[in-house]
Amino acid sequence: MIADLPYVIVSALALWAIYGLLAIGISIVWSSLGMINMAHGFTFAVAGYGAWLAAQYVSDAGIVVLGAGILTGAVSGALIYAVAFLPLHDKPNFVVRSLIATLAISLLGTQALQWLFGPRVKSLPRVFGNTPLELGEIVITADKLGAVLSSTLLLGLVLLWMTRSRRGLEIRAMMQNPEGAALVGIGLRRTAMSVMAVTGALAGLASVLLSQTFFVSPGAGLQPLVKGLIVALCGGLGSIPGALLAAGLVGITEAATATWLGGQYVLMTQFAVIIGVLLIRPRGIGGLLDETRE
Amino acid sequence: MSWRNPQLRRDPAKVPVHPHLPVGRRRWWPRLRAHGGNTWRRMRYPLTRRHVLWTRGEYNPRNLAAEVRILDKRPLWWMAGLAFLAIAPLLTDDGTILSAASIFAIYAAINLVWMLVIGTAGITSLATLAIVGAGAYGGAYLSITYEWPWWSMLPVGGAIGLVFGVIVALPAIRLEGFYYALLTLGLAELCRVYVVQSRVFGSATGGMYGAATHIPDDLSDTGQLRFAYYAAFALMLCALALYRWVDGQRLGRLLRAAPEKNEAFAEAVGIDYRRARIQVFIISSVALGVIGGFYASHFKGASPSLFSMDSLLLMLAMIVIGGIGKAEGAVVGTLIVVAIDKVFIDLGALRLILIGAVMLVSVLTTRAGLFGIQAQFRAWREKKKSERRARRQEKGGEVVPEEATEIADKQAIYHRRFDKQMRDFLKTLVTDEVVEEHRLKPLGQHSEALSRLTNYFRRGPMADKYAVFTIVPMREYRVVALSGQRGVPPRLVNDRTYHSLGDAYHAVFLLRINDLLES
Amino acid sequence: MPVVTTPVLDIRGLSAGYGPLRVLHDLDLTVHAGERVGLVGLNGHGKSTLFRAVAGLTDWQSGSVLLNGVEVGGTRSQGPGRHTHEIVRRGLALMPQGDAIFPGLTVRQHLDAGAYTRRAWRERDRRCRDILDIFPPLEKLLDVAVGKLSGGERRMVSLGRGLMADATVLLVDEPSLGLAPKIGKTVMDALMRIDLEAGAMIIAEQNLSLLEGRVTRLLGMHAGRLKGGGMTALPGRHVTGVEL
Repeated sequence: MIADLPYVIVSALALWAIYGLLAIGISIVWSSLGMINMAHGFTFAVAGYGAWLAAQYVSDAGIVVLGAGILTGAVSGALIYAVAFLPLHDKPNFVVRSLIATLAISLLGTQALQWLFGPRVKSLPRVFGNTPLELGEIVITADKLGAVLSSTLLLGLVLLWMTRSRRGLEIRAMMQNPEGAALVGIGLRRTAMSVMAVTGALAGLASVLLSQTFFVSPGAGLQPLVKGLIVALCGGLGSIPGALLAAGLVGITEAATATWLGGQYVLMTQFAVIIGVLLIRPRGIGGLLDETRE
Repeated sequence: MSWRNPQLRRDPAKVPVHPHLPVGRRRWWPRLRAHGGNTWRRMRYPLTRRHVLWTRGEYNPRNLAAEVRILDKRPLWWMAGLAFLAIAPLLTDDGTILSAASIFAIYAAINLVWMLVIGTAGITSLATLAIVGAGAYGGAYLSITYEWPWWSMLPVGGAIGLVFGVIVALPAIRLEGFYYALLTLGLAELCRVYVVQSRVFGSATGGMYGAATHIPDDLSDTGQLRFAYYAAFALMLCALALYRWVDGQRLGRLLRAAPEKNEAFAEAVGIDYRRARIQVFIISSVALGVIGGFYASHFKGASPSLFSMDSLLLMLAMIVIGGIGKAEGAVVGTLIVVAIDKVFIDLGALRLILIGAVMLVSVLTTRAGLFGIQAQFRAWREKKKSERRARRQEKGGEVVPEEATEIADKQAIYHRRFDKQMRDFLKTLVTDEVVEEHRLKPLGQHSEALSRLTNYFRRGPMADKYAVFTIVPMREYRVVALSGQRGVPPRLVNDRTYHSLGDAYHAVFLLRINDLLES
Repeated sequence: MPVVTTPVLDIRGLSAGYGPLRVLHDLDLTVHAGERVGLVGLNGHGKSTLFRAVAGLTDWQSGSVLLNGVEVGGTRSQGPGRHTHEIVRRGLALMPQGDAIFPGLTVRQHLDAGAYTRRAWRERDRRCRDILDIFPPLEKLLDVAVGKLSGGERRMVSLGRGLMADATVLLVDEPSLGLAPKIGKTVMDALMRIDLEAGAMIIAEQNLSLLEGRVTRLLGMHAGRLKGGGMTALPGRHVTGVEL
């Protein structure tokens, strides 16, 4: 049992990275735009297809596939912005209506993908190769290492961008007080566009990374969406450190359960953990760390 | 300038038209004739104090006939709609339509019960289908394994619903909005994964089939379909009754008084919203469980598609298209979605795209679905009206119809209208010659145009009326404006001093001309 | 002092409101560079709505608002706040009631956020020091999250943020609201120290005594209409006698 520990740690790290990417996307969108992006899973699936198309018709070099995934994700994010956010953002009852609109996009988009590409799953080429690396006693496959490294890199870049750059300052200002942001000359719509594109890009990266182990299919977005939502929720909507912590917690739970109890119990233990967390802290782990949006 | 009688140069085509706009708002209501005591008598449901129709007896202001106005016509629409649904299956023997009709009735029942949670209580719970599915699976399992009769599935479903109700009700009092929605979504996903993987619940066959059913075998095919439809229709009527019972009574009032984010206000007036929410969750969950049992009996089994995200989205589409918070929204929305689903059956997967598009359009354009359009239109019209009023009420202008309702003295309205016409006409008389004439002879003898102007100025109200103030007789005069109030001295208009009375008179005249032209 | 050129803010026939409610009635107001205008009126008579209408934050509005000679008003019936950032970028600084601060950002980040023009962003360190000269208590608090500051300090942050860019029209809504009288007076003193140069300032206030003798003219606001001193006074001239 102890012998599995390194393996558990490695897979927990890989899951942490992927869930972190998804959850941060959902969390940032909620806190800066006040919208629950239920079409995040659709972005995920579209990005998978984008990467697959690039691998089919352009080149199957790792960097091209990754880039195509990220780019498609960003485009899909911008599309969701144009369809769900732009017409609704100053209308009454925005929160519920945008939730329903993104759900509708998700329904529509998934079916459209199925209609365009057929229900058969596609597999992506190995982005990082699959040579196992040995670090002491631990054997890590290259794709896990690549997943951890590339998502840490991108997450780090996004966090740096959020804290250091001017646009990041604008996004954080908008997260905390949209009207105040307008009063210091921050255009809601332009900033919202960049938020949606960046979170879409994060989902695109997560999609390519996760498709290393799973396949690309029209419905592929559902599981990551649910997991991403759950992690974002557990971390406290709108809190980036909370989301990262929660991603770690959920990743460890999943890896440990899969190794020691069996794959079918993963969802149950995850839910037990999350319900436990939410019953203790109804606004998630980070709910009190930062000011979350009302 | 040659003078012509203004009455003679009126061009009939240019006479300002003042149409008799309706003042205030009038809505059209059907009226029933009544006489004597019947005017104020209202029908009640037996043994209750509830009225069948919300009516009001009144006298017609035109002929003083006693009339009864129906203030809420929705019960009539409901009766007509339900009567149609009751006779519709007798009009056709098309199998697809009949089976679609029973699916519609079952889904409408689910949506009605869901509406209690999502509309009346205002809590976005997405575990609805999971509860229905759990009831269906429980009933089907007992029926297949232990050969329980079909009617036992309903209480079994209800019992399972009760357990689920307690499970979903507890977090509902602690978690807020989206946290709760996502948690229930996760619960549905958990159920799906469990059912798909569990061998007991038919992971190999893709569902459990072979349960007992309430549909008798000895009927013809069409007869079976009709029987199934009427059973489902009865279920829908029960759900409707439950909706009315919860939404229209005390519990519904309590819940609607304590929506999300307003709990504190509700608590401050003594509403125990936690208790009310637990009650509505338990009532709706039991009802959903019973519907689940009925579902298993109707379809002779259950399939994991009940738990899938797509079915949930379809249900949500029904509710959203119809309008959240209204029973008619739940029923008509279901009708629309089921109709799209069955009418365009040839389109295959494109159907779902179509439903998604309809849902998207309805959520982008309407605030509360199909049945919120009327209220939304009225709100829009009120808004436009207030904007129009803001634009039309220019300085010194006449009274606009919307404003007229707020002025008690109706004479003032006509005075202002007359005054405006008068000023419009007088403006045409102001010319350089008239001004020059006044400068030369401020005290007259005046031409007709000038005397019309000065007569009008003399008639003006005292407040802000210009006057000449003598500082030193024959040497220094200033122009002042009277306050119009006793005891309040006039104020100086400008800092110019005039050395003769004639200059001062002319200065007053010029100021008045300026004000006239500006008004 | 230059005699009347283009007014920095010229409002003609402005009506505005929320939903069916009309708050401002055909309002005219002209403000020239160098003026410090006091706007006095009771609660609910439209002072804040006037400011919000200039910034495009009301539900609907009609009438013309010229900001430095550029039309930013017009007739609009939806999208409150949709053009606010553009209006702000044309040289408006609105310091609203309740401060509109970002509780999680530090004081320095607030001041940076206020520097929205390209030039202001480049010079933000120098400007930040200028602000600290006006509001010395902020010096020690630069790296503290604003959510943790006291009401008076927040007010100073909000005012300082508005001063970071080259706004020509400063609209200050109730600078002493909710503050202890002494602190309110300090804030008002700081406002008077601000060098207006080519700009103008309008201060809405309920407390007449805080404004008297310190502004170039006083206007009263009653039921959505301006009263008293309605005719423009030349800069530097003090008009008394406000009707309320």
